[in-house]
Amino acid sequence: MVYRAAVAGRVVLAILGGYGVASLCTALLSLTLPLVRSEAVTLATLVSFAIMVAAVVYVFAARSLGRAVVGLGSLSLLLGGGLWLVNGFA
Amino acid sequence: MRQGFRQSMAWLHTWSGLVVGWVLFAVFVTGTATYYRAEISEWMRPELQAGASIESGRAADLAADYLKAKAPDAQGWFIGLPQPEKPLIELHWWKDLVSPMQHALLDPRTGAPTQARDTQGGDFLYRFHFELNMPPLWGRWIVGICAMILLVALVSGIITHRRIFADFFTFRRHKSAQRGWLDAHNVTGVLALPFHLMIAYTGIVTLAPMYVPWGITAAFDGDAPRFFVEAGLSPEVRAPAGKPGGLVSLAPLVAAAEARVSEPLEHVAVYNPGDAAATIVAIFEERKGLAHLHPQIAFDGATGAELGATGAVRPATHISTAFVGLHEAHFAGPALRALFFLCGLMGAAAIASGLVLWSVARLPKADERPGFGFRLVRALNVGAVAGLPVGLAAYFLANRLLPVGLAGRADIEVRIFFGAWAMIALAGLLRPHLRAWRESLGLASLLFLAIPVVSALTTGAHPFDGEARFLGFDAAMLATGLLLAFAAYEAGRARPQRRAVQADPAAEPARIPAPRPAGTPQKRNAALPQARRSA
Amino acid sequence: MTPIVLALNLALSFAGLAALALSLDRHHRDAFLTRAPTNRARSLRWTGWGAILLSLAASIALDGWNFGPVQWIGALTGAALLVVALLSYRPGWLRPAALAALPLALLALPFALRG
Repeated sequence: MVYRAAVAGRVVLAILGGYGVASLCTALLSLTLPLVRSEAVTLATLVSFAIMVAAVVYVFAARSLGRAVVGLGSLSLLLGGGLWLVNGFA
Repeated sequence: MRQGFRQSMAWLHTWSGLVVGWVLFAVFVTGTATYYRAEISEWMRPELQAGASIESGRAADLAADYLKAKAPDAQGWFIGLPQPEKPLIELHWWKDLVSPMQHALLDPRTGAPTQARDTQGGDFLYRFHFELNMPPLWGRWIVGICAMILLVALVSGIITHRRIFADFFTFRRHKSAQRGWLDAHNVTGVLALPFHLMIAYTGIVTLAPMYVPWGITAAFDGDAPRFFVEAGLSPEVRAPAGKPGGLVSLAPLVAAAEARVSEPLEHVAVYNPGDAAATIVAIFEERKGLAHLHPQIAFDGATGAELGATGAVRPATHISTAFVGLHEAHFAGPALRALFFLCGLMGAAAIASGLVLWSVARLPKADERPGFGFRLVRALNVGAVAGLPVGLAAYFLANRLLPVGLAGRADIEVRIFFGAWAMIALAGLLRPHLRAWRESLGLASLLFLAIPVVSALTTGAHPFDGEARFLGFDAAMLATGLLLAFAAYEAGRARPQRRAVQADPAAEPARIPAPRPAGTPQKRNAALPQARRSA
Repeated sequence: MTPIVLALNLALSFAGLAALALSLDRHHRDAFLTRAPTNRARSLRWTGWGAILLSLAASIALDGWNFGPVQWIGALTGAALLVVALLSYRPGWLRPAALAALPLALLALPFALRG
């Protein structure tokens, strides 16, 4: 039961966390890449899917669910903080 | 996940592949058929004779006349001009963004609805491959998620498969069933790996702004049209003025546009056609090259003055459109297209063999009752893998056998496609497993072999009559039929149902619903023996 | 993008991949019933990679940086499938087929250069 809950947890974390990290990354890169804004958006969107794949692989490779949560969580915080700094929420 | 990186990835590969395999198989097969979408459409409308001389300007005016009468208050018209291989005017129009798109096909000589039989042709397979015949938004999200999971399965599969180079050419079809299926899965997966990675990634990129709009949200305040204009992908379209206005004749604009761009003119779009601020956009075929970039010129709908045109794009946009171009492969000539087709089939084969491998690796021992999950997967395998070819063949046969003037014909063809598919899926549940494989593959084979015969009998046009128009299509149907016959024969030549792997206590499959007593050490996964072999 | 360039590519990569396959003990045994002697395996490997690189160079030279690599990968995939099919159904034919593919590639070269 514990095992299945952990698997379910990873699946949920991979989907939501992976998409979240990819989205934050896209938004942040769109605002910070030193390119014309349409180019920054295009490039950021283009790499977002690779980022999501990497995040998913990380979630399933992590030693424990807790570790994956902490890893993805701190990355999201970092990206969110960066986005806040460049005024992405304004 | 499991102990060790490679084991976790093996687990991830197995289960991510299983949950989306059935949908992806259908997406791959219909997508692969889409490489020949134009040819399929041509075959499905045998009344049309390709190659008649075409006047784009006149066709555009005929289309506008029809639409002015039919949908003067539409938000947009999209006029597909006749092309040598498709002598039809194809119209789409929409009242607003929520109500469904309307559609009509006109005869380019008269401007009246075409006399050709009502069918969706190859467009059905094309749309199915990314919308699954669902409401577009739903279908696109489901296929997008499946493609994403495919990407994860590909990456984890590469990590799992540590002997990629040593096993590159290995296909041991005479060893155990499990070994044979594993090799088949590896060979079809690895040999066409660049294609698989490319097609999964570029497939997602075709709809990227829908899946990940957050860049546009952040940098453009969510104004997607602005983004496309700035990226150079679309000319500016004016907002409606809110007062009625007349629309200029399209023929002179078509002529002016054609004089500017050397590519053939494919579409004319009219936004807010009844409004004083209508915009007419001429859309050309892609320029020669990898990138999927259609040159476009915009005109004022009231005066015919030019409003703007798309030009060269910047590097990132070029890369992004090249991804889309690679996915569609419109640039490929006949030989390269055939190779893309082959790669697509290998993708379908990799998925199918992976699905079968999952079940073969979990065959219960002689004294074991097969679990529910195991039986479900096997039945779904038959339904998805053998059912789809039956559905496709039924779709093509229905095109020839239904009365030409039947009302709602196009929809009935589609219903026959799904009906035949569903029937085989049911048979997969009811018949003994190996027999279900053999019978449904055999049926699919017979149906495909029947297509050229039925076509010749119903249209009266056949190669022996000097009618060589559909020779290529007929040959493809015969080849598919023979391939399926071979598959049916192989499926019937069942190998003994013994455990393929030598008694290996660690090979106990982790069945989906099996409750795990607390404290049992985690067992390794049996689906990916290469991890064990090399361990 | 002409079929003749693709044919050249296919022939070259088929020969190259066949040589690579035969440099592996397992497949050498399938085709010749013996393991590949070390120096022979080495020369087969060099030949194989050489032919594959030559095929890449040819496709880029003839079709440019855009289409060349696409064409090359497509041809590699098709040729690899052919090698696997031969190895598992008619392993004895692999060597003659690969040897026949080389002059075919040479034959296609002038046409490819002209087209």
